[in-house]
Formats: sequence, structure tokens, C-alpha cells
Amino acid sequence: MWAVATLTFFAIRLIPGDPAQAILGGPGSQASQEALDQVRRDYGLDQPLIVQYLAMLARLVTGDLGTSYALRTPVAELLGAQLGGTMLLAVLALLVAWILALGLSLWSTGRGRTAGAVGEGIELTAAALPHFWLAAVLIAIFSTGLGWFPPVATGTPAGLVLPVVTLAIPLAGFLAQVMRESLLDAMQQPFVVSARARGESTTGIRLRHTIRHASLPAISLSGWALGWLLSGAVVVETIFAMPGLGRTLLQAVTLRDVPVVTGVVLLVALVYVVMTVVTDVASRLADPRLRQEGAR
Amino acid sequence: MPAAPVTIRSPWRRTGLIATAIVTAVTLAGCQAPQPEASGDPIEGGTLVYASGDAEPTCLDPHVGGNYPQALLAGQFLESLVSRDESGEIIPWLAESWEPSDDGLTWDFTLREGVTFSDGTPFDAEAVAVNVEHLQDPATQSSTGYLAMGKVDRVEAVDDLTARFVLTTPDSALLESLSQPWTAMQSPAGIARGMEENCEAPVGTGPFIVDGWVKQDHVALVRNDDYSSPPADAGHDGPAYLEAIEWRFVPDSASRYAALQGGQVDVIDNPQPDTIAAAEGDDAFTWIDAPRPGAANRIELNSGQAPFDDERVREAFIRAVEVNDGIEALFFGTAERSYSALSSAEQLAYSDEALFEPDLDAANTLLDEAGWTERDADGVRMKDGVRLALRFPVSTNQSIPAEQSLFEQVQATAKQAGFDVVIELLDLSSWYGALFAHEYEIVSAPYTKVGPDVLRILYHSDSITPAPSGYFANLAQLDDPEVDSLLTDAASTSDEEARADLYRQAQERILGGYYLLPLYDQQNSFLLDADVEGARAMPTVSTPTFYDAWLAG
Amino acid sequence: MSELELRQTTVEASADHLVPRRRRMPRPGTLLAAAFVGFLAVATIAPFLVWTQDPNRIAAAEAFESPSLAHWFGTDESGRDVYSRVIAGTATSLLIGVSATLIGLALGLVLGVLASFGGRALDFGVNRVIEVLFAFPGLLLALLVIVVAGPGPVTATIAVGLSTAPGYARIIRGQLVGIRSSHYVEAARVLGHSPGRILARHLLPNALVPLFVLATLGVGQAIVWAAALSYLGLGAQPPAAEWGAMLAAGRTYLPTAPWLTVFPGLMIVGTTVATTMLGRALTRRGREGH
Repeated sequence: MWAVATLTFFAIRLIPGDPAQAILGGPGSQASQEALDQVRRDYGLDQPLIVQYLAMLARLVTGDLGTSYALRTPVAELLGAQLGGTMLLAVLALLVAWILALGLSLWSTGRGRTAGAVGEGIELTAAALPHFWLAAVLIAIFSTGLGWFPPVATGTPAGLVLPVVTLAIPLAGFLAQVMRESLLDAMQQPFVVSARARGESTTGIRLRHTIRHASLPAISLSGWALGWLLSGAVVVETIFAMPGLGRTLLQAVTLRDVPVVTGVVLLVALVYVVMTVVTDVASRLADPRLRQEGAR
Repeated sequence: MPAAPVTIRSPWRRTGLIATAIVTAVTLAGCQAPQPEASGDPIEGGTLVYASGDAEPTCLDPHVGGNYPQALLAGQFLESLVSRDESGEIIPWLAESWEPSDDGLTWDFTLREGVTFSDGTPFDAEAVAVNVEHLQDPATQSSTGYLAMGKVDRVEAVDDLTARFVLTTPDSALLESLSQPWTAMQSPAGIARGMEENCEAPVGTGPFIVDGWVKQDHVALVRNDDYSSPPADAGHDGPAYLEAIEWRFVPDSASRYAALQGGQVDVIDNPQPDTIAAAEGDDAFTWIDAPRPGAANRIELNSGQAPFDDERVREAFIRAVEVNDGIEALFFGTAERSYSALSSAEQLAYSDEALFEPDLDAANTLLDEAGWTERDADGVRMKDGVRLALRFPVSTNQSIPAEQSLFEQVQATAKQAGFDVVIELLDLSSWYGALFAHEYEIVSAPYTKVGPDVLRILYHSDSITPAPSGYFANLAQLDDPEVDSLLTDAASTSDEEARADLYRQAQERILGGYYLLPLYDQQNSFLLDADVEGARAMPTVSTPTFYDAWLAG
Repeated sequence: MSELELRQTTVEASADHLVPRRRRMPRPGTLLAAAFVGFLAVATIAPFLVWTQDPNRIAAAEAFESPSLAHWFGTDESGRDVYSRVIAGTATSLLIGVSATLIGLALGLVLGVLASFGGRALDFGVNRVIEVLFAFPGLLLALLVIVVAGPGPVTATIAVGLSTAPGYARIIRGQLVGIRSSHYVEAARVLGHSPGRILARHLLPNALVPLFVLATLGVGQAIVWAAALSYLGLGAQPPAAEWGAMLAAGRTYLPTAPWLTVFPGLMIVGTTVATTMLGRALTRRGREGH
């Protein structure tokens, strides 16, 4: 976490442009020298870089993320307000992606080459769709065309549908690839063969034995997937006008709002760490072998 | 010559421009203007949803910084001392009348009686003094308002209702400066709460009150039931018809239009030209076309360095470039070609179409004369081994997609004469960086200000000297003592006719020197659901006002 | 990003279970993919052979024409021929995809080799660096690079490359550690070969073959990432045609002129699918050869 904070601090300092300018409404403003000096004093920007850096670390240790240059509110408060929306979006998208991927891979495995090839084609295509384009197509079809879902998310469940689906489809493409391969793998395992020998139906085998097996690699990928979803959220939140971390980040980067960028990055790193722990636990639960190891 | 600055184009016909155009013609001292385009009696109540594509302000107080997104919102809850009508005349608002002294160094403003801010603080001369002090205090971090008050030394409260502006030098643009939202009046008690609180919910005298701000989502505005101070050209008296406005931030233009189509929002700003064209053929929408005042959108030629320090090369570029077809195709007939440095919203705008007639042969001859005779393998002209390359930084924040495409067409047509235009698409900060470092030969930058004084900011040689931030407004780097003296005289004369004449001479000289290629007015459009009646754009900086608006059906 | 690791799993899995079944002719899908890649190669090396007109020729009067015999993919907002621009954009787009992948690969290789051969302390250090980079969402890393270095096609490429590097580094390190303890490396060490020679003769070749396959799959994704950057206005510069930039520019006109985005979009998807299929076919071949 410390390394992430340090890296971000210096990366942002590399950005050409004066933070005092940014605070005064961007480089186009014709701020007076007095105003610039005032801002530099207020935010400690007249101190040497190392002093600023140490001051930032000292604040972080006490849990103080600082005050946003642009919005003049505490960063923790600002991010706290946005975290919920983005996490809801990401978690829902993850769930939908899981369901889509599971459905697709169950359908396309063990049904011969045509189904396999079609499945593979759908997966690859889905994974190659850029969010911004997919979102525009979905809006054109489901908002303008059919009028089922609003194009601007207003906090209602209906408003969440399109953003969630936009995020979920490419991710489902990735997940389905992994799942299908491990399903195929599982189908040739001894326990499946023995179950088949016992006369269990194909569907029964699929549902009872192989799903658990197939979901393992996908579970361990979910931590990565969440980070990936946060990247996607930058675009999706902009298009669907949803408040959230992605938009906060984009605005902060363009305004050179260092405390906010640092805050978002730290938060995402934290989510990543937590998610890694969670997926570890989840794979232990799904895989008896790992569970025993854990018990020992 | 200048068209009516604010025109509501009826959904079915654009030639009806002027006929349906004039929203409010009036300006008698009172406020009995007829309801424009009224189709039935106004209906009380309801919430109007507005979707804004402009950046979300970081502070709602337009004194702080001072950009257009702030002005858009502030227009709903703050009011200025004066306003402007359709014809460009200054009209009363919070000030009933004003009187400059003979030497032009003091101005006495008589204020409207019985006006109170929405927190109960009375609006008086003392409040005006506090506001000007607030603008001039470095701690406020004001930029636009600070510049507008540049010639004001102090404001004295002569009595409760008389505010005296004491100037350091005469300023013919004072009234225009005071009509802008960036110098609007706020409650002294509100200002005294400190910047953080005042940014969240500034307190004014306007028809609506800020009720809350959910960041990245919306600002909630509710009706000011005690409202009593509409500008002289407003449609009615008393409180607004609408109960509330929900001001949403929707950055993506396609989503905004989809939301309007779906009835999720009632008004959108910054529609793309193709969207306007589509909406125009649809009775369900009304289009308000309100070009911003100040400068027209134009391409500036950097005369401060080679190759454009040679007037012949400048003229050759302007003659070589062909933009009319592109404007027609890319803007779907929603933008009209301009031949003036000033917006058509400015009464004193001077146009000269003949100067900008494309003529490839003339361009080639001029370039030959200027010594750019060789050509390299790509057909680009050379002189002493130097290629005729023009760096063109384009801001992706300020130029809409259609404008970026137009610049690509400029690039293509200029190539025929042997110019190599190098377009660089940049984010706002990098773009300013390129300008500060003089790494450009051509550039296009908008500038909004009420009145022709914008010419002084853009073309006076003083504006070549950068501000502490590195910013300089004279991007053409026009350095002509005669233009300087014409603009300085115009800014300080108190004689209307002399002023108009001085500005005309200045514009003739600026256009005639081939320092810029005018394109069109700064596009500023709003699409409204046809159920929204009575909305209009303010003739000051073309922000929308919903004081007279109501929701039918 | 770690769709790399994910792809690695799929590449290996598909190779594993396909080995016993396939040993004959290439599949028709593979042939189709090969044909498509061949077409891309022609469009890259000699675009003028396959385009129908100058891709930058502007004709404002012919803007927004839908696909027809004269303009197979229609015309864009400046009346330029979309088909010709798609062809002309092949080289730039592939260049972005390939060089971003190479940058990611090269950086990943350096980090991976350092981690697995530099001793315990270096391994620890490099691993922390990789983890830190990993914790950044890819787009954020790319955004930072671009804002620091200024936008443009070169920085966009570098940014995408950088953000894929930690994924490659992790895989390479894993591979190298695995190979290092294998029998033939042990044997070489016993024979007294220098570490440098072992690295060059045994480790790298063995680690690089699977990487090569992985990289073919990375190209398509890199193009998609670069497209997202173009959408944010930070990609290729006009008038150069580039698929991502075309997609981003055409999005404005999606309801009225869908052909502006559909065709460049199809090219990106097509390229990704084709290179992935070829990559898998190559892996299968590689496994069969062993």
C-alpha cells in the first residue's frame, strides 16, 4: 500500500502542469499571481517535494486521505460516497458475467464440434468488444428502440440494467473461455467416467460434478476480474452518467487532483487485496483438496 | 450583419428563423413582456429535469474561478446588477438605473428596493460592496470576475440603495462586465460562511434556491417563493412557475439525447449537430440556438513566428482552405459560416466575406512570391530546406467531434497548396502546454465575454505577455500599435457612436491582416421537450433561464 | 493484465485435451483464420493493392453515404471511403497491437528473469514491484502514462504495453522457475555450463515458445485497449486511419450512420478471433511435435 501511494504521488508530480493552476480552475484561467501564491500557501505546495511527500505519508498513516484540490472536501468523504455505487455495479456485473459464462460454457461443451466452435466464437467476440461501443449499441436498441431501460442511470434498478450488462458481456467472454476448458477437462476425469458408468444422465453429471470443478479457475480469476471491472467502470459510468469511483478518477486525473487520485488508487489496491483473500477462501470452499490442506 | 442573438427555431422550419425568433422583444422599464410562444396559460408546479453535458463545476459559486459550467447553473439562483436584451442594450435588473460621472471615473447605481436574498439578508449597497471585495480578494481565487473588475478601485455605499463604483480608469465595458453571471450578487451572510460552504450552496436573489448537490449526479434547485426581482425583459412577475429543477450531469452526448427521447429528462444542452438535425424534424422537441457572445469560433494564425510572420503566407493559407462544404455537411445546417471575429450576438460585429473567398491559384501565387517554391516528395512546399509545416494543437475538450472533423478537412484542403498541417489532438492541460510554449502555428480557442471589449483581450499586444499562469489570450500574437490604440480608445470612450466606429476600424484592420479564419458562432444549443414552454436563453452569456418556464401536459 | 494468465490456462488446457483427438488436417476454422491473417498481411504491406481509393480523400458533399457498390463500407463524416480507411488502418492498428505486446513482453521478460535468477532479495523486490503494478487497474496505469508523457499513438502503445507487462512477468517467472528445476537444466549445471549459457541455451528457448503463442493472443486485446484510449481522445492522430480511432469517432453517429463503427469493429473482433485461433493451432502443433 505504501509503495502504491509513493508511486502515485510521484507519477502525478511528473505530469506537466502546476497543481496551483489546477486548483484555480485549470490552466485556462487567468489567475492572478496573488491568487496563485495564496493557493500554494494554503495547500503547502510551496514546500519542497520531499516535505510534501512526508506530510502526505504522515496523513495517510493517521487515515487522513487529505482534501481534494478541486472539490475542497475531504477525500475520504468523497470516495466513501462513491464507493457503494461502483461496488454495487462491479459486483452485479461480476455475478451476471458468471451466470452468462456458466450458461454458455455448459451449453457449448460436450455437444460436438459445431457447438464448441460457436461457443468459442461467441466468447472471443464478446471478449473483444470495447465497452464504449457496446454501451452505445445497447442504448440504441434497448432505450431508443424498445424503450425498456433508461439510458441514464438514476439509481433505480431499471437504470442499472444496461451498465451492468455492458460491463458483464466482455467479462463473460473471458470467464466462459476458462470455464469451458476446465469443463472439458472435468468431463474426462475418472469421477465423471465412473458416474457415467453408474448410468447417471449427462445433464446430471454436468450439474452435480463438473460445475464445481469448472468454477475453480474462474473463482481465482474473480479478484483480477474486479480490478478489470473498475477499469471498465471509468467508461461505463461516463456513458450512463452514474456517480462512481471511475468518473471521480477520470475527473481527478484531468484536474490533476493529487489527493483524490491517490485516494482512489489506494482504495482499489485495498479492494484488490481483500478480493485476493476472499477468492482464496472461496476456492478452498469449492475444492475439497484445498480445504483439507487448509485444515492441516 | 448580426442576426438576432437568441433564436428559438421552430421544429419544422429553419427559414422561420427571424419570425419565430425573437423571444422577447421588449424592454420597457416594467416587466409586462408578453409570454413568448405561449400556447395556453402557464401551469404552476412540476419538476423540470435538465441534463448538462458541460463539466460538473467544482464549486457552485461563480466568483470562484469562473467558467461556463458555473455560469449555466448560477443563472438559476444568482442575479446580476444589469442584464442585456435581444438587441444588445443594457437593461435594469438588480440595479434600476445608473449614472456615470463626466470623467467616467465614478458610476452611481440605484438599486432595486425591497429585494432580499433567499436567506433573508437584505440586498443593499453594502452587499454590492461586499461582492466586489469578494471578487477582488485573492483568497476567493477568482479569475473571470476578477478580470472583469480590473478597473474597479472600490465600491462605496452612498446610502442603502446607492452603490458608487470608483474606477482607476474609465471603462466603457463596465456594464457589460456586470451583466455576466461571474460577477453576480450573493448574500454577504452566505459569503461569510467561508468558501467550502459557499461553494456547496451559494445564496442569491434568484428564482430558484440550491437545495442540495449530490456530486457527479445532480444539483437540486427549489423555487424561491419570495422571489421579486426578475430582469426587465422577463415574461412575468413573482415566483417562478416551476416548483423545482433537477440539474443532472450527463457527460455523454448520445446518452443525453437518448434520455431526452425517452422522456427521462426535459432539457439537454450541448447536443451534437446530427442530433439537432434529427430533433429538428421532430415535433416532440424544440431547439434553442443561442450562440455565445464574445468571439466567434475561429482559427488563429500565429503571426509571432515563421512562417506566418509573413502576411503573404497567412493570406495564402486562408485562401487555400475551404470550409463551407464541411460546415454544411458536418453541422447539418445548424451552424452558419461566419466572416467576423466577433459572435453574431454582438451588435458591433463586422463581417467581410470577400476577404475569405477561397482561391487556390491566388494561394499558390502568394506562396511562390513568399519564396516557398520548392516541393518535397509529398507535395509539401519548402524554402531553404524547411518544410511548410503547421502545427495545429486541437483540444478534445473544447472542440466537438464535428469541429475536429472540420479541422481534418482544413488539413486536406491546405495540403493542395502545399501546407503540411499537423493536427495534434490533446487533452486540455497538454493543449495549454503547447500554447504556452508557442508550439503552434494555427490554433482554435473559444472566448466568451459580453461585449466587443473581447477584441481588446484577444488582439491587443498587451495580451501577448503571459499571465503568471503562462496564459495569454492573443493567440494570433497580433502586435500592431494601431490596433492597440483603436482598442484602448474604444474601451475608454463614453460616446456610443465613437465607440462603434473605433471597434469597426479595429476589426477591419484585424481581419484585413489575415490573422484569423472565422468559422461560425460559438455553438451553444439546447434541445427541449416540446412540453417545456417559456424557456429562453439569457441574452448576456446565453445561459438558459427557466424563470418563465412551465411544463405543459 | 492478467487475462494473459487466463489465456495461458486456456491455451494449455485446449492443447492438452485436444492432443489425442487431432492429428490430421488443420480445421476449416484454422484455414479461414489463416486466410484472414493473410489478407491482413497484404493490407499491412501493400494496402494500395486492396483499397479502392485514397483513404484520406475528402469529399464533404459525399458525407454519410451508406454502403453501396461505390463505397463498400459507406462513407464517413468527411465523405471518405470507410473500406479504404479500414484497409489503410490495418498497418497502424496492428503496429499498435504488436508493439504494445512486444513492449509488455520485453519488460515482462526482464522482470521475470531478474526475479527468477537474481537471488532471493531481488526476487522479493521484483515481486513487490510486479504486485504494485498489478494492483493498478490497467486503464489507470495507461491514463497515468499518457498524462505524464502526453497523448498520441506512441504513448498509447507504450501505455498499453506497460499495463500488460506485470502479467507477462508473472508468467515468465513461473515458467523459468519451473524449467530451472527440470532435469536437463540440472544436467547442464552438472556439466559445468555457465549460468549465462544455461539461460541462453536452455531456459529462454523453452520459456519463449509458449510465450510466443500467448503473445499472438495478446495482440487483439492490445488493439481493444488502444481503442478505449482513442475513445478518451488519446490515441492516433488525424488524418491517420486507425480502427480504434475510427470506432471512437464514429460512435457519435451510431444511430444515423452505424457503418462508421460496425466495420472497424468487425476488423478488431476478426483480428482477435483469427490470431487466437491460429495461436491455438500453433500450440496444438507444438504439443504434437513433442
